[in-house]
Amino acid sequence: MPATPRFPRHPIPARAGIGLRAPHYREVLEQRPPAGWFEVHSENYFGAGGAPLHYLERIREQYPLSLHGVGLSLGSADTLNLAHLEKLRALIARVEPALVSEHLCWSSIGGRYLNDLVPLPYTDEALRHVGARICQAQDFLGRPLLLENVHSYLKYHDSTIPEWDFLAAVAQETGCGILLDINNIYVSAVNHGFDAGGYLRAIPAAAVQELHLAGFSVNRYEDGEILIDSHSARVAAPVWALYRQAVQRLGPVPTLIEWDTDIPPLAVLLEEMHSADAILTEQRHVCVA
Amino acid sequence: MSALHDLQRGFAAAIFGEDDETLADKVRDGRFPGARLVQIYRNNTFASLTAALEAVYPVVFRLVGEGFFRYAADTYIHAHPSTSGNLHDFGGRFAAFLAAFPPAASLPYLPDVARLEWAYHRVFHAADHPPLPLEELALVPPAQHGQLVFGLHPATRLLESDYPVLRIWQVNQPDAADQPVDLGEGGDRLLVFRHALDIEFKRLSAGELRLLRAFSVERSFAEASAAALEAEAQLDLAEILRQHVQLGTVASFRLDPAFI
Repeated sequence: MPATPRFPRHPIPARAGIGLRAPHYREVLEQRPPAGWFEVHSENYFGAGGAPLHYLERIREQYPLSLHGVGLSLGSADTLNLAHLEKLRALIARVEPALVSEHLCWSSIGGRYLNDLVPLPYTDEALRHVGARICQAQDFLGRPLLLENVHSYLKYHDSTIPEWDFLAAVAQETGCGILLDINNIYVSAVNHGFDAGGYLRAIPAAAVQELHLAGFSVNRYEDGEILIDSHSARVAAPVWALYRQAVQRLGPVPTLIEWDTDIPPLAVLLEEMHSADAILTEQRHVCVA
Repeated sequence: MSALHDLQRGFAAAIFGEDDETLADKVRDGRFPGARLVQIYRNNTFASLTAALEAVYPVVFRLVGEGFFRYAADTYIHAHPSTSGNLHDFGGRFAAFLAAFPPAASLPYLPDVARLEWAYHRVFHAADHPPLPLEELALVPPAQHGQLVFGLHPATRLLESDYPVLRIWQVNQPDAADQPVDLGEGGDRLLVFRHALDIEFKRLSAGELRLLRAFSVERSFAEASAAALEAEAQLDLAEILRQHVQLGTVASFRLDPAFI
């Protein structure tokens, strides 16, 4: 953190927030919608100037902000990309986010990037490897990260640890927080046939600092369907049900509405946000009672 | 090689269609055959990298059409895979790739249009920089002016083409009406820069381009001036420099230590 903050402290409240995308910059600044907070993809601001940073700084003055990375490739067997990490450090210093998160996955090998979130094999070797790299990144940045569970469409023969235990162990061993993506749990539970409720119960509640909600799409084949984490639709009914279950177990946790392809009008995102807020409020009243 | 490394190498090889076997042994058949599940990842990678190219090169896309663009993008992704976790870094060699891509040979101006779009993209994302400190420049004794090394703003790019690329770019904007462009109308010398938050273009004279290009590779003012005057004997150096300081193109200076 810089010695003299440039922005109000603005911690992330236990409310719903919205993934901020370029088409909504002006509307957010002109209309000041009642979003609890905003989250952006860190890499979209690595250029360190021009319109993206201009709008982000204006919005940061008025709202709490979280940075969410998609490209650090923490699980890769390559050496950690320090140039990428340095850009993240510079962005953190510039916009002073309340939270910084990344994905528990890999996306590059041999210097070649797939620019996709690919699941790790859940093995002791992968746990040691990704754990060491998360620690390296946290030391470099001088702050803890939140790690997000990714969606998956396949499983490896190598995997010996259930995904939920792997995620819990990563948090335990590195001190990182957990960003629990409810849609990803649902998508993977349907694709692999495991119990989403059991996944939730295996996660150490104290480590969960943020939740994600998004819409999925469906790949249909003659012999069945696969759910795709496309971030291109409203949150589906069974995902809302799983979210309610998560909030009952975890208490009110900051929750983000993500929508990254076929981006709708801001009003649609605000509706989704209000739906999440209503569930958070139910739980807040339960806590008080 | 560790099991993790082995698996990731095999995964990438399957995504790029170099070797399906290594990964096939490592992926479980679930409700569906493993090969179909791997195909989802292959589609995602190619779709997102193609979308990234489309976002940077909308005019190339419009000029060649969707089918051709997808074919070119697919070939490019195999030949020059992404090397950054930031998708905005992807696609910097697309112009050079198109110049050597036989199916695009009938559109000789296409690589330069791609160069202009890449310049636009880089200028859009480039770092901010404060204006040149004029009061400090005024303190440099006139005898040392020749040893000044001026620096360009990070959000500037220079471009020279034998084709009227700026007109081609302009008539292919989303809201532009169809207009013919005469390829014989002559080439362009351009500065691409940021004015406030907008990206703008400025046509440059031959000497002006030489001057700025010499600045961009850290030539001293004496060397840069000589190169500019060689290209354009009538160039008013002081006036050109003043204009570009005012525009913000020239944003820094130092004294070449070899001369101090």
